[in-house]
This record gives sequence, C-alpha cells and structure tokens, in this order.
Amino acid sequence: MSDKEVQEIIEIEPSKLLSEVDQLRSAAWRLVQILCIGQQGGAELSYSFGTDGERGLRMRSLRFTVSEGTNVPSITALYPAAFLYENEIRDLFGVAIERIAGDWMGKVYDVAKDTPFKKVTVSPMSSEGGIK
Amino acid sequence: MSGENQGAHAPVEENIRGPSVIPFGPQHPVLPEPLHFDLILQDEKIVGAVPQIGYIHRGLELLVEKRDFTDYVHVAERICGICSFMHGMGYCEAVEGVLGVEIPDRAKWLRTFWCELERVHSHLLWLGLAADAFGFESLFNAAWRTRELVLDVAEETSGGRVIFGSAIVGGVSRDPSKETLERCMKALKSVRGDVARLSHVMLEDPTVQHRLVGVGTLSKERAYELGAVGPMLRASGYDYDARKRGYAAYGEVEFKSVVETAGDSMARAAVRIREIEQSFAILDQVVAKIPEGPVSIPIKGMPPVGECFARLEQPRGEVVYYVRSNGTRNLERFRVRTPTFANIPAMVEAMRGASLADVPTITLTIDPCISCTER
Repeated sequence: MSDKEVQEIIEIEPSKLLSEVDQLRSAAWRLVQILCIGQQGGAELSYSFGTDGERGLRMRSLRFTVSEGTNVPSITALYPAAFLYENEIRDLFGVAIERIAGDWMGKVYDVAKDTPFKKVTVSPMSSEGGIK
Repeated sequence: MSGENQGAHAPVEENIRGPSVIPFGPQHPVLPEPLHFDLILQDEKIVGAVPQIGYIHRGLELLVEKRDFTDYVHVAERICGICSFMHGMGYCEAVEGVLGVEIPDRAKWLRTFWCELERVHSHLLWLGLAADAFGFESLFNAAWRTRELVLDVAEETSGGRVIFGSAIVGGVSRDPSKETLERCMKALKSVRGDVARLSHVMLEDPTVQHRLVGVGTLSKERAYELGAVGPMLRASGYDYDARKRGYAAYGEVEFKSVVETAGDSMARAAVRIREIEQSFAILDQVVAKIPEGPVSIPIKGMPPVGECFARLEQPRGEVVYYVRSNGTRNLERFRVRTPTFANIPAMVEAMRGASLADVPTITLTIDPCISCTER
C-alpha cells in the first residue's frame, strides 16, 4: 500500500447508483474499474473511480449487493467506457445489467460454461472489514 | 426517352454507397494475439469500430480459489509473458496489503529494478512490432536484437528471461549482489546507445513520420473520459503515472512522467521511447541507492479476513489488482483490471476518422496485450 494514495469504499443502495456515479462524473472522476464478486444468491459490485493531480491521488469505490435476477442499470450513459466491464460481468457472473450502450448480447467471452464465475460459496464482507 | 443514359441521370443518393463493414482479426499479420474489430467504413474512412475479445479467456482469476495464496503468485506471473514480473508483484502487493506486512527495503528496490527492466524490454518489443506493422523490418530486427541484451540482464539477476519468478509474497526470492547489478548496468550501456540510435530513426525518419504523425489522434479530454491509461493517456497530454503512488521504491526515486500533447500515433511512440530512457535513469538510481539487508520476510499462518486494491504502472499503463481473503489459505477473489482492457474504448475512438490502411499502425501504437486481457 502507499501513503500517497487515499482509498475508500462507500456502501450505497443499488437504487442510488446512477445518481452517485453522476456526481462523480460531474466532479471529473475517472472510471478505474468495475469489480464483481459472486455471492450466494447474488453478487457484490464495486464501481471504482479515481482522481489525481492537484486533488491528490484517490480511489473511491461504490459498493452494493444485488440479489439474483435483479436488474442493475448500466452506467454507460455517464461513462461510455463501462460497456466492456458491464458485458464482462454479465457474461461471467450472470448479473443482469440493463440498457448497456454497446451491448454484445453475451458474446464478449466464448466460454464453454455459461456464467462460470457465478458463485454460491462466498459470504458478504462485513462493513467493518473495509479496505486495508 | 430511352433508358440508355439513365445511370448518368440517376438521383444523387443512388450513387452514394452506404457504409461497409470490414472484419479485422482475430487472425491478422500484425496481430500476434487474437483481437477482432468490425470496422465500419465510409469509403476508405473508418466511421466506427466494434471490438471483440474473449477468444482465449483462461479464467486464471478463478484459479486463486484452488491454490495456496503464496503459490498463486506463479499463476499471476503467467497472466502475461511480457509484464510477468509486474503481475506477480502486483498480486504480492495486494496480498501484503491484506496481511498488513511491510517488506524489507532491499526487496522494494529490487522490485523497482525488475519493474524498470521489464518496462525497457516491453517497450523494445513494442518498438519492433510497431515498426513491423508499417513495414520497417530492419528496425523491427534491430529493436528485438537490442531487447535480447536486456533479457540477458534479466536472466543474470532474476534467473528468468521472460518469467522472472523472483516476486514472492513477503519480498523477492533472488538477491543479486551489488557487483552483479553494477556489471549489468555496464552491459546495458551498449543497449542505451542502441536505443538512442533506434529512437532517432523512429522519431525523425520522414517515412515513419508519414505513417504516424496525425494518425489515430485522441484528445486529452476524450482519453480521460474513456478511461485510457499509460502511454495512451500521457500521449494525449494527461499527466498520470501510477508510479507516483510511491509503491516499491518509487517514492524514493526521482522521475517525471513522460507526457506528450499531440495525442497521435507518433506521440504514443515518443512517450514509450522516452520512457525507455527514463527507465535507464531509474535503474541507475536503484543501483546507486539500493540498501543492504534481507530481501524477504517469512509469511506464516493464515491471512486475515480482508481485502486490498493495489495499483501499479505497467508498460501499457495502470493495472489494478484486487484480492479478498476469507481467512483461509485459499483467497476468495483475485481480480486484475489490465491496461489493455481499459484502453480498448480509447482505441476504438482513435480509429474514428482514420483510413483503413492506418488500422494496423493505430492498433500497434496502443500496444495491446491480449494475453493480459484474456487473463
């Protein structure tokens, strides 16, 4: 880890995703990555954004959990580059992401087994765990 | 009126062709790895491109559940054969973050040494491939011949030419002596001379300029908006280099990000070439400043429940590693967001407005690594 960087994870309600992301976009945060972790009966999603320069080196992750079959809105209207992450998450984890601008309809990964990363063994992380 | 002259008097709309779609890849002479684009063309000009990956996805991230967390570093290193050391090291950095351990100073400096050595050989590999893409085969041969000498140094210091195998959780597994490091730097002197000559050809030759200047331009604003990283971002004028986080020994090394402003293929080439020279300067500092001492700490027992993100600057740009531990010796999740994955949207944007003949050049100046992307 680095002393020069601030990393934070903020848990949000899934319904607040677009408004939270819109605020970060307005403040010119850069999309760093979208992380998905399969969980029993659903998945945990973390949307990471970064800043640098005069504002300091920061990475903020917005995290929420969705149950299986729940639709997650796409953020491609705000961050067009998110289409690759969202297609990947849908193909590998089976998370339903709707209205992706650049929807490959399940063709990003040509895998032998559908949604191979979908898990049933992982327990949710406690909010006290935080990032180290 | 007879119909013999109808073609000449046909409505204008009928004489205009609609867009055509040309497939590019996954097998193509300039692509050493499978990547596909559906190029949408209006005459010879590209108006859009639809990328396609996933031909060789290996599911290496999933393997972390079946390997001991200290052994998995060998898998992480094999994500890619070009930035292998940095993959292994990035995994170790994230695991060490979960463990809450600080590795010895000498290990930090040695990691910095191998990172920069890897950057040099990666950029020389790219230089050869880029030259080959626009038909400059003698430059391709010269760049790869020079790269061999860098690999010799990697072998002498780490034991491996491509897979270094020297990153371990808790430090590094090899400890080259100061004499060895100084001897290696002496050997690299001829490489520096070669790089200076190759750089002159790449940046000054009018035929190269004809193929690269003004081709595949990406503005600073669009590069940032599309999440571009590494030389792709810095060539468009945005100053961001993940080494500024100060991981390994970068906090104690003096260097400035290499930034160009034109945003075209030549600017991306210039950033990488100047970064080779910068890496040599960092290597000099490492050999001069590296402290004596142990190179690893013992890692015993189970990792605690926890998670950690680690960000590194690979030759192709920022890479993000994530690990989550459940308190056993098998981690629950390992994730890599590779720089090529992040650069694909920017690559598509850079192709818009270019001619079909420039696609290989634009693709190569982005330096895609599909092996990383298909982790």
